[in-house]
Formats: sequence, structure tokens, C-alpha cells
Amino acid sequence: MSEVIQVALLGHPNVGKSVVFSKLTRVNAITSNYPGTTVKFQEGRLVTKGKEMVLYDLPGTYGLTGATEEEVVATKLLSEKSPDCVVVIADASRLESGLVLLFQVIELGYRTVFVLNQMDVAKKRFKIDLEDLHSTLKVPIVPTVAITGEGLESLVEVIASDETRETDFKVRYDSHIEEMLVRLSNSVPRHSISYPLRGALLQLLEGNQYFTVQFSPQVKTIAMLERERFREQHGEDIEVHINRDRYGEAGHIITRVVDRIPRPMSRKEKISDLTLRPWPGIPILIGVLLSVFLVVVFVGGFMETVLVSIYSDLTAGFFDWLADEIGGQLGEAVSEALNLTFLSIVAIVIPYIILFYVILASLEDSGYLPRVVILLDSLMRKIGLSGQSAIPMVVGTGCNVPAILSTRVLSSRRERLILATVIILAVPCSAQTVVILGTVGRYNGLLWVAAIFAILLALIIIAAWLMNRAMKEEPIGLMFEVPELAIPRWDNVLKKTFHRTKDFFIIAFPILLVTSLVLELLMTYGLLDQILEPLGFITVGLLGLPEVTIIALLFGILRKEMALQLLVVLFGTANFSLVMTSVQLFVFALVMATYIPCVSAMGVLFREFGTKDSIKITLGSLTIALLLGGAANYLLSAVM
Amino acid sequence: MVSENVEMYLAYIWDLSQKSSPVKTNDIAKKLDISPASVTEMVQRLAEKGYVNYEKYHGVTLTPKGERIGAKIKRKHRLMERFLVDVIGLDKEESHKEACRLEHTISDESEKRICQMMNNPKTCPDGDPIPSCDEDCRMCISEPSIPLTEVGKGEKATITHLLCEDTGKLRRVIAMGLVPGRNICVEDKLPMGGPIVLNIDDCKIALAKDYARLVHVLPMAKGERIGKAEVAT
Repeated sequence: MSEVIQVALLGHPNVGKSVVFSKLTRVNAITSNYPGTTVKFQEGRLVTKGKEMVLYDLPGTYGLTGATEEEVVATKLLSEKSPDCVVVIADASRLESGLVLLFQVIELGYRTVFVLNQMDVAKKRFKIDLEDLHSTLKVPIVPTVAITGEGLESLVEVIASDETRETDFKVRYDSHIEEMLVRLSNSVPRHSISYPLRGALLQLLEGNQYFTVQFSPQVKTIAMLERERFREQHGEDIEVHINRDRYGEAGHIITRVVDRIPRPMSRKEKISDLTLRPWPGIPILIGVLLSVFLVVVFVGGFMETVLVSIYSDLTAGFFDWLADEIGGQLGEAVSEALNLTFLSIVAIVIPYIILFYVILASLEDSGYLPRVVILLDSLMRKIGLSGQSAIPMVVGTGCNVPAILSTRVLSSRRERLILATVIILAVPCSAQTVVILGTVGRYNGLLWVAAIFAILLALIIIAAWLMNRAMKEEPIGLMFEVPELAIPRWDNVLKKTFHRTKDFFIIAFPILLVTSLVLELLMTYGLLDQILEPLGFITVGLLGLPEVTIIALLFGILRKEMALQLLVVLFGTANFSLVMTSVQLFVFALVMATYIPCVSAMGVLFREFGTKDSIKITLGSLTIALLLGGAANYLLSAVM
Repeated sequence: MVSENVEMYLAYIWDLSQKSSPVKTNDIAKKLDISPASVTEMVQRLAEKGYVNYEKYHGVTLTPKGERIGAKIKRKHRLMERFLVDVIGLDKEESHKEACRLEHTISDESEKRICQMMNNPKTCPDGDPIPSCDEDCRMCISEPSIPLTEVGKGEKATITHLLCEDTGKLRRVIAMGLVPGRNICVEDKLPMGGPIVLNIDDCKIALAKDYARLVHVLPMAKGERIGKAEVAT
């Protein structure tokens, strides 16, 4: 057989489809210990014994009706590509729900292989009679431990074998549904449906738009009437009953083939449970979030110092040489722009962002993030967001760019927009924290720092609440499976970090480079000053700051903590207390903390939300920053 | 105490009277497959006891007292048929025979519980209407079957039905395996209206209140076993 065998990997979220896929095809799929990591499907190839296979790694799906975005992707591929073989992957410890999905795939007549993954864990808890399971279902059953690769060879063998025996396994539905199926099948012309009629009719009765396109409009109408009649008679939708029977059948099989091994709860399970309870879950949560913040600020800060000094040693003289080579003012501008761009990569991307990605990946793989979501849900709902938005906000204290990207975990655009605005406006990224600490923290004392963070917290609450009122739409409630905690695997963590950093570079690097060039050119040709002069009313008039600070503020758009370095250059001293009063320092730090996003963040913002909303967010945060700064200036000057 | 025979007569008369009233004794005889003479005799006795009004050549009508008993028995009969077919999976003929016997013996309380469990079915398997009971269904459904949000922490329950008008939401609930008949245990309820954490067959599910409200459950009495999960331990 020279044809390519098309194989779809199907299964519930978080059962390890992507691990199976990566191990078989060596294509990197991002995996995590929480549901929903794969939103698009991935494709990979594999050649074995002269046979070529195309594997599709489908997003996790609970059913085939397309209830969520992921399910639409999975269901579409199944119905449109009609793969030669569907591998249904189930967590061997949670067979029941896996069986329900398997039933539907069998009903639709696909050549099916049933994989029981994470068999190592399951073996400690259950005795599963695979023989009995096989003789009941009559489809090939392959136990695997995908993470170590165990059982994957036999999986490939089974897929490649020409065994095409169809299973005669059937789920028995209640007599009404069975009668309905008979009634309906009489009205369908023979051979007009490529799926087995029973399976397709069941999908039709469930109101599924997939797998049912071949039915004539008449049959569809009859099915719709049957659905309505059923609802009238039973007071419940037919899909509830169909699925009740599927779960009933699955439960029936489980009682026969699965024996629970009595054992006490393991320590891991106990910890898994504890992190879910409000007590001690919430103190643990605060501890985890705080340590993430501290690690990013301190370890990141340390790495930055080291890397920047290495960078300047390595490039010493190079940029001067480059400026001379190009020549003139243009040379200086270009070389300075390049220098700044690379410097920001060394000073921000590597220490803060990569570090943050490593932490994020470890948290993801540990299965802790869903717990954060659950514990914070009620709090976040009070301000009109859902628990899911806690994660991007934590990410935002590192860097706003990955934070905006991670708003994708939210299901509605509305919520994403609110969250992105809140992050841009009021969640201080590590660079903003550096500015706050380097000005107010150093010269005014911790109380002033606390005041700024308090203002930011109030801003988060007010902004989310106001936007929420304006948008008038209920946030969608959460519902997901909670994974058990696990120790992250370092290879997976590094792989994820690598892919995310690569994505970040592709988005942010060009923007950073172009903006630096433009700003440098404006500076060099003296155009910047001409633009600046009329802006004096902002710095001096509104904010009560020295006139030169406008340059620091403007450069803050490029890189937030560069504002700090520029202040040093502009004032010619590193001791700000000599040139600025404590009120001025406070105002400066407050404006920097709420100020418009840096160019990298803006870039992602435009890409994710489009021009219109991005401009609104950007101008909005600029206005609020200036108003806040102005208010602080007038109030504090009056008092002090 | 009303005899089974009387109950049966009243139930049939009630059924026939739904199509046309008064009911002819000949129709009753045909339906019961006995001679018109014995029907007439029986009807006269029923009239004496005040269950029916009987006028020769005109027919039989039920008195309010007879009407109540007739409807009640027919209700029990059709409800039991529905139960036997839907839940146990008997075929229709068998279920009819069985229901003929059970209609006289099943208690009102059992009838009520079966009605709740089946989520107040409206018709029997043949499509004939199940006479409604006198109670307000909303009161009945809410007790003892309650929304999942009302279940206390650490309590166990069985899902009885899903109440949802929004198909999208309903599908998501079904997809998570929250379907009638499955046993759940509420492991945790987060404070301040936070999500509920369920254990369903060793799988933990967190769901927000707006989803939990759609799932109706029958709480288990304390100490009652929750399926196989505890049998083994």
C-alpha cells in the first residue's frame, strides 16, 4: 500500500494527545498540565515499515457536537478529512468519559483504536481487565505511557496493520430513542449517507450540524420534529437522554472490567486537594504569586546587571566603529538605534521575559494554574472578570507582552479587552517596577512605594468595574476538569520557553528596531526638540516636573526603565534627590507606572485587538496617567 | 379501601370518558372483553357506592369521587409504563401487563418520587397523556431534587435532570459528563459565590454557579454508598 494513512488523535483535554503526537512525529507540540493547550490541530508525518502516515493532533474535545472552539476544530477535521483511522486516547484512570467519546467514534464507523494512556498511574489504582474490555468493544486496545514512550511502538503497529474488522459493539439506548431511530431510518434513502446510518442519525437527533450534512432536508425536518416531541413528552432534551445512556453503558462496562485497588491517598493527592481548598489554598496562592513576583524582580534584576555589563564589554567600541563606518549624524543615529535595540533584548528579554516564561511553563506543567483560577474566581468576578484572568495579570507583573498574549485563555473578546486594558494601565511590569523602586523607592522610602502600588490596585478595580458596566455583558462562568498536581518535566519546560521566546522575537523585534531608528533619527536631526518644546506645558505645567523629563517620558515609550537611565544622562547625576523634590519623584514614578504601553506591548496589542481598540487603550492610558500625575502634583504640592 | 376491580373499572371509564361522555356500557365491555351484562351489573354497583352516575340507554358519567380515583389509577398506570420502558427497558407489551398490576399496589409516595425522577413525564410510551397530579410541579421538582448549588460541602448526590433552555450551555454541561444517573460529591464550595469543585468518578471538575444551577440532583442520605467508589474501599 503506497497510500498515506491519515490518522487522527482524538481525546479529552489533558489526556496526553500532544505527548503521543510529539513522540511519534518528533514535531513539537506545546503541552501543559491543564486542559486546552492545543487550540489548532497540528500535522506530522511518520514512516514505518514502508507505510507513510499523517498524524493529526486534535484539540482536546469532550464530544463531537462542537460545543467549544476547540471542539469545532476537532469535529470539523473528523468530518471533513474523514481520516482512515481515529485513535481515541483516554486517561486510563478516567476511563468512563473516554469510553463515551469512543462510543461515538465507533458509531460513526471510523476504524478505531483505543489508547489507554498514563497506564503507569492507573496501574497503581486500578486493575483493568484489558482482555474483557477488548472482547466487549472489539476494537484494538493499546495501553501506553506516552511520556516515556511505552506502548507507542505497538500503537504504530496497530495503526499500520491492515486489520479492518468492523466492531459490532453497540450502545443500547432507551426504547424511545431506539424506536425513533427505526422510524427515521425508514425515511432515509439507502446509500445516501456515507456514515453508518445509526450513528449519523444519533448525531442528527442530538442536533449536531457535523456528520449530518448528507441528510435530505425532509429527514432533517422529521428529526427536528422528533426532537421537539421528545422534549414535550419528557420535559428534557433528547441529547440529555442519549448521553445518559452512553454514560450508563460506560459505567456498566467499567463495573465489569475495572477493579479499584484499595489504597490510602498518596501525599501528592493530599497536596493536590489542599491547594484547592480556600484554607490553606489561598495563603499558598499568595505565597506562590509573591515568590513569582520576587523572583522576577530580584533574579531578573541580577541577571540584567550581569548581562548588560557583559554586553557593553563585548560591544565596546563596536557601535562607535559602526557610526564612523556609516558616517555623519546618520551613522550615529543608526548605530545608536541598533545599540539600544540589542541592549533592550539583553536587558529585558533575556533576564525578565525568558525567566518569566520558565516560571510560567513550570507552573503550567505542575497543574497549579487551574487552582489559581478556581481560588481567585469569586474575587475576579466581583470586578467583572473571571478567574481565568488571574493568570495574565500575574504574567503582566513580569512583562506586558506575554500577558496580552496570554489573555487568549479567556473565551470572550469582551473579557480579553477589559483584561488587556487593565494590564496595560495598572499592572506594573518588571521594568515599571524598576522605575518605581529606582526613584521613589530609593529616595522617598517604602511608604511612597506602597502608595503607588495601592493606587495601581485601586485603578485595576475601578477600571475593570467601569469597563464592565459599559460593556453590559455577563462574564461566562468557568467549567473545567481540575488536573492533579505533577512535577514539571524540565525538557517540556525548556521546549515551551524556547517556542514562546521565538514567538516573542518575531512579534516584538521588528517593532522595536523600527521605532528606535525613527526616534534616534528625530533626535539626531534636532527634530525631537522642536516637537518637544510645545509639550512643556505637560511636564512643567501639569506635572510640575523639570522640562527635560519630557525626553525621559518619551523614551519610556520605547523601554520603560530607559526613562531612568535617561534621567541620569539628562541631569548629569545619579542622585535624583539633588535635582527633584520627593513630590516630583513621586509624580514621575506614578506617571511611568500608568503610562502608555511600551512599543513591544503596543505591537502585540495591535496584533491581538486591531487598530481601533488599541488606539483607544493607548490614548486612554496616556490620559489617565497624565490626569493622575497632575492630580498628585496639585494635591501633594498643596500639602507639602 | 377501594377494591382493585373497582379501581380498574373507574380507570377505564375515566379513559373512555376522555373521548366521549357519557360512556356507553357496550364500550366498557368491549374494552374489558367481558359481557355487557356483567358490565351493567358492575356499573350499577359503582353507582350505588357513589362513584358514577348511571342512566340506562344513556351511559355512565363519573362523579367527582369516581373521577379522582379513575384519574389517579390511570396516572399510576401510565407513569409506571413510562418508568418500566424508560428506566428498566421492558418492552411496551410487558410494561403494560406489569403496570396493570402495579397501578393498584404502588403507594402515592412512590408515584410522586418516580414522577420526580422521570422529571414529570407527560405521556405514556404509547403517547397517551399521563393525567396530571394535584400538586404544583415546581414545588415537587424542587424537593427532594435540588439544584447542585444547594448541595452542601462534602455531600453526595445523584444527578436527576438538567434544566436548561440554552443548547450551547447544555452541551457543555453534558460534555463534562454531568448527565442524569451519575453520582457526584461536592468536594468544595469556594466562598463569595466562587466555583464549586465536584468529584465525579475520581475526576475533579470545577464549575461556576451559573452552570451548577442547571444541574439538578437528588441528595443521598448521609452514609449512603456512592456506587462503586466506596464499595471497593
